[in-house]
Amino acid sequence: SPTGDSWGIFTFLCAALCNLPALPALNCSEELGAGQSIQQTYDLTRYLEHQLRTLAGTYLNYLGPPFNEPDFNPPRLARAERVPSATVDLDLWRGLTDNARLAANYRAYSRLLCYLRVLDGQVGTAELRHRLAHFCASLQGLVLSIGGVMSSLGYPLPAGPAGPPTPPGAPAAPNDFLKKMDDFWLLKELQTWLWRSAKDFNRLKKKVPPAVVTLRLEARGF
Amino acid sequence: SPPLSVSPAADPAVISPQDPTLLIGSSLVATCTVSPDFPLKAEDLYWTLNGRRLPAASYAALGPSTLSVALARLNGSRQQSGDNLVCHSRDGGILAGSCLYVGLPPEKPVNITCWSKNMKDLTCKWAPGTEGETFLHTNYTLKYKRRWYGQDNTCQEYHTAGTYSCHIPKDLALFTPYEIWVEASNRLGVAVSDVVMLDILDVVTTDPPSDVHVSRVGDLEDQLSVRWSSPPALKDFLFQAKYQIQYRVEDSSEWKVGGHRRCRGTAWGGRGSRCSHLLPLQVVDDVGNQTSCRLAGLRPGTVYFVQVRCNPFSIYGSKKAGIWSDWSNPTAASTPRSERVAGGCDPKGGEQNTTLRRELKQFFGWVKKHAYGCSNLGIKLYDQWRVWLQKSHKTRNQVGKEP
Repeated sequence: SPTGDSWGIFTFLCAALCNLPALPALNCSEELGAGQSIQQTYDLTRYLEHQLRTLAGTYLNYLGPPFNEPDFNPPRLARAERVPSATVDLDLWRGLTDNARLAANYRAYSRLLCYLRVLDGQVGTAELRHRLAHFCASLQGLVLSIGGVMSSLGYPLPAGPAGPPTPPGAPAAPNDFLKKMDDFWLLKELQTWLWRSAKDFNRLKKKVPPAVVTLRLEARGF
Repeated sequence: SPPLSVSPAADPAVISPQDPTLLIGSSLVATCTVSPDFPLKAEDLYWTLNGRRLPAASYAALGPSTLSVALARLNGSRQQSGDNLVCHSRDGGILAGSCLYVGLPPEKPVNITCWSKNMKDLTCKWAPGTEGETFLHTNYTLKYKRRWYGQDNTCQEYHTAGTYSCHIPKDLALFTPYEIWVEASNRLGVAVSDVVMLDILDVVTTDPPSDVHVSRVGDLEDQLSVRWSSPPALKDFLFQAKYQIQYRVEDSSEWKVGGHRRCRGTAWGGRGSRCSHLLPLQVVDDVGNQTSCRLAGLRPGTVYFVQVRCNPFSIYGSKKAGIWSDWSNPTAASTPRSERVAGGCDPKGGEQNTTLRRELKQFFGWVKKHAYGCSNLGIKLYDQWRVWLQKSHKTRNQVGKEP
């Protein structure tokens, strides 16, 4: 009978809970929080990477060939450098402090979010606008998540959100074709950043304070 | 091979015309002029359109570093963001590009229909004119104004009921005619629809009826009783309502609209039979705020899905028909199946059922002639008739064999 089943589940849960070791002392909760946040941020970058594949596919089809061709590789004009680049020297990347690593991610995504929002305002079809809006919301979530990790580790957030989408010295595209190229590179850079972030957060995960690792083992020993 | 490295100062080449707008079928001559900083000649260049290389036969060198291409009888743009006409260097690198917008000016939007939900707002939809495809991004703007007051208003909330729709949420006056029209514009021109004139009160619709209940009618195998409440949103306004019921069997996708009038041609147990008389139901038995009706001619022991919708057709005494609401969420109920008499003679049991059905057929034929519409009067009459039947042996012998 249904009631019999609920009682069964309830008693099982009680037994399980009663057998757990005492929860870790509160003074360790901050590091636990950071560990979980890093994991969540990592998961979010993987999710965004997946979402970006669909978004980019739709957007590049909207731009039309050759932009949606798999081997398309246009010149990277100076104007495109207003988008922060993910590619960095390997030794430099390895040597980044946790703070610098997180700050680079935070700054990059804040900037990228701004540019994407501008895109959202200009794009033609309703379907694209809808997808872009959804992606921007998720990306905003990522920025907040990174901010959360930084706060829980005691690092200050990088000064202010990104400046206006077109800072002085890098004017908006002078013609529609160049604008398409900018859009292409924006999506490419976004993709590269998400790949890089997965590695960044993987690295950060491994550097979680040892105290937390011990606690986890105790929990598992039950 | 890797693309050409680029000097940060200048664009490698310039295309003319840059991002032109053209009518379908027109021709175009475009030129690509390499910047003096670049060591390229006209013969080092080639063109592509949407990724496809254009034939060299259409090229012409207009100068040492200028190559032109002739495009004839252009088709509508492949994508609304513009066709990509690109000037390349020999190794495939991109030097410059131009977006071609080839299409048609918009046609007059047509078929503007509007409806107001409970007189609070107005939603309108339209169709984009006969051709539809302009190949260019076309913007639609819905405008409206009160007939004798000058100011034009623009609708802001688009796509609420499909692509070509707009929603006006507030500040609408009643008892006054509105002029409504749609403007379509794209890079090649503007088109304005005909003006539609309407009064909000003439296009009122409402929520579907709430609390739809479907229940059996005693033991009657072929009937179900449907009850619902009139939509509360319009209760303060003087209106009458028409209702329609539609119902179907659980495993069929075919809806039958109507009510107590049994559809001719529906055989017992017959499948796939079509209802030739689809009659809307008139309102009856408006008991307080409840309304009800009886479905008859149903199959015994069958699950039916029932939906009801409402038409507020006489708002403030307006003579015009309102607009039908959406159908209510389907409500399900099953007709009873008569039980065979224990230890009974099966063949006779079957005959008894046939007898019962035949009786009902005759009864409803009688009802049609003598009592209009769905009403509780029916069941009392039927019971009376049954009693009368049982009392009178003669009648029973005429109808069928004794059980």
